[in-house]
Amino acid sequence: MTTLKRSQFINLSRMRKHFALKPLAVAVTGLIVSGCGNRQEGQIFTSVDDCKRDFPDATQQCEMAYQHAVQEAARTSPRYNSEYDCEYEFGPNQCQRVERDGGSFFMPFMAGFMVSQLMSPRYYSQPIYTSFSRHSPFRSRWITADGYVFDGGLNKRKYRVSPDVYKPKPTVNRTMNRGGFGSSVRAKSSWGSSSRKGGWGG
Amino acid sequence: MLRLPSTPRRHWQKQARDFGFHFHTLYGEPYWDESAYYQFSLKQIEQDLEAPTEEIHQMCLHVVNEVINDEQLLTKLAIPEQHWDLVSHSWRQQQPSLYSRLDFVYDGTHPAKLLENNADTPTSLYESGFWQWLWLADKVDSGELSRQADQFNSLQEKLIARLKEIARFYGVQQMHFACCKDTDEDRGTVQYLQDCAGEAGLSADFVYIEDIGISDTGYFTDLSNRPITDCFKLYPWEFILNEEFARYLPEAAVNWIEPPWKSILSNKGLLPLLWKYFPDHPNLLPAYFYGEAASASTEVLRWIKKPLFSREGANISMLAAGSETPLSDGPYGEEGFIIQAYCPLPRFGDNHTLIGSWLVDDQAAGISVREDASSITQDTSRYLPHIIL
Repeated sequence: MTTLKRSQFINLSRMRKHFALKPLAVAVTGLIVSGCGNRQEGQIFTSVDDCKRDFPDATQQCEMAYQHAVQEAARTSPRYNSEYDCEYEFGPNQCQRVERDGGSFFMPFMAGFMVSQLMSPRYYSQPIYTSFSRHSPFRSRWITADGYVFDGGLNKRKYRVSPDVYKPKPTVNRTMNRGGFGSSVRAKSSWGSSSRKGGWGG
Repeated sequence: MLRLPSTPRRHWQKQARDFGFHFHTLYGEPYWDESAYYQFSLKQIEQDLEAPTEEIHQMCLHVVNEVINDEQLLTKLAIPEQHWDLVSHSWRQQQPSLYSRLDFVYDGTHPAKLLENNADTPTSLYESGFWQWLWLADKVDSGELSRQADQFNSLQEKLIARLKEIARFYGVQQMHFACCKDTDEDRGTVQYLQDCAGEAGLSADFVYIEDIGISDTGYFTDLSNRPITDCFKLYPWEFILNEEFARYLPEAAVNWIEPPWKSILSNKGLLPLLWKYFPDHPNLLPAYFYGEAASASTEVLRWIKKPLFSREGANISMLAAGSETPLSDGPYGEEGFIIQAYCPLPRFGDNHTLIGSWLVDDQAAGISVREDASSITQDTSRYLPHIIL
């Protein structure tokens, strides 16, 4: 074929959304992939010992980073109604039942944790998952709780999780006020539109 | 240009879940409809749609340049006076545009006629750039459509390249993306642009319009109190400019996508101005500001009256033989109206078909085909894929 009038290539794995089966809840951990600037090298460890081997002088920080990731996992891990749904995404025996607030759900086991700036007092860590399911686009890839997929396979442990920023961001100490945009959409919506579309695009 | 029946792919709804296409059905009505598709010839695409789209865009830029330098026109287009500087500054700085969608009446034979320019907040982007592309790939893979079948749709490729250029223009690697709460469709459109930004190597953060804050230092902030310096907003300029936080716009110095000068193009006042500067252009319909020279053209028997600002065909009426018949109601119209010669959408079976022609910056980038039960308004439309063969 000569010149195509359509896109020649589309990266389907980018377009695939988070989880094949929509989790009940996905919390935003954010930091790593969405932080504005200040990105650092991030390293994935599959156990505390793994971390201690690389940082024999920082065994205590390894423990803390791990504990922090475990707490984050309890808070932000993808959740599923059934063990089947969870295993469909993460693979057989990769999910645990959690009972909380009188209900129960299933979430995947943490496969590791990612740490940035371990030696700094402002180190940061987050839980990392992977999938063993042949249904999942995450099979043999590292992913975050909110579904960010890292490039490369499970052998790749170091990531440049933030390129250097070109220009510094302005300083913000605190937000004084919110909600100053969006009043028009409220006003127009209160008019009982016959239009079935809720959006403001055209 | 043909409408051909087609068997929906068996797995498409599961595929929609996997890819996060959540608004294929809206309010219980099908929106994505692959029970048929449209087939165009390459000549129809290139001569009748692609070339006029790029030409009209240049004509639109001419109009912007006229309006920027004319206080009377700025007033007529209901751009608030306190924001004239913001709008003209964005134009003089040549702040980059990302995309637009021109809506055309086109039947495959006669010249396409411009109905309006959705230059500020066009949607149906994901369905066009990605979803119908995937449909064609599946149909060709399964052998149902010829390997020769193509599609006028380089949207995703061009959006990624354009986002890269915009980031380079502003010297940034991070952008915010914003839309209103409670609409799957807008959120889906913005998520799509976030994905394109990711492909362009940018880091893309999301914030709801309603959640935007103002900081002690005069910058807009997201929910994590991070400053918003570069922001795509799927929210119309005519709303932004009239809301409480508008007074912070100059100092907050956000690089907006679309830039403020797009407020001139998304305004229906564009249509009479195009007709004024380019009278009798084959792709334009006669148009005037309501109340001005309305009777100038006696050849036109029926006019459609539209508000300067409106969405989804709201507040439209038909003027014929001196009487006005409302065709749709809505919350718009306080800023004034325009009239445009009535040009019904062509019918394919029981469907009235509207062509949306996409621009990424100044390049034609593909089309979307939507069908409606009515010949004028577009609030129950369905989206159908298309091919070139």
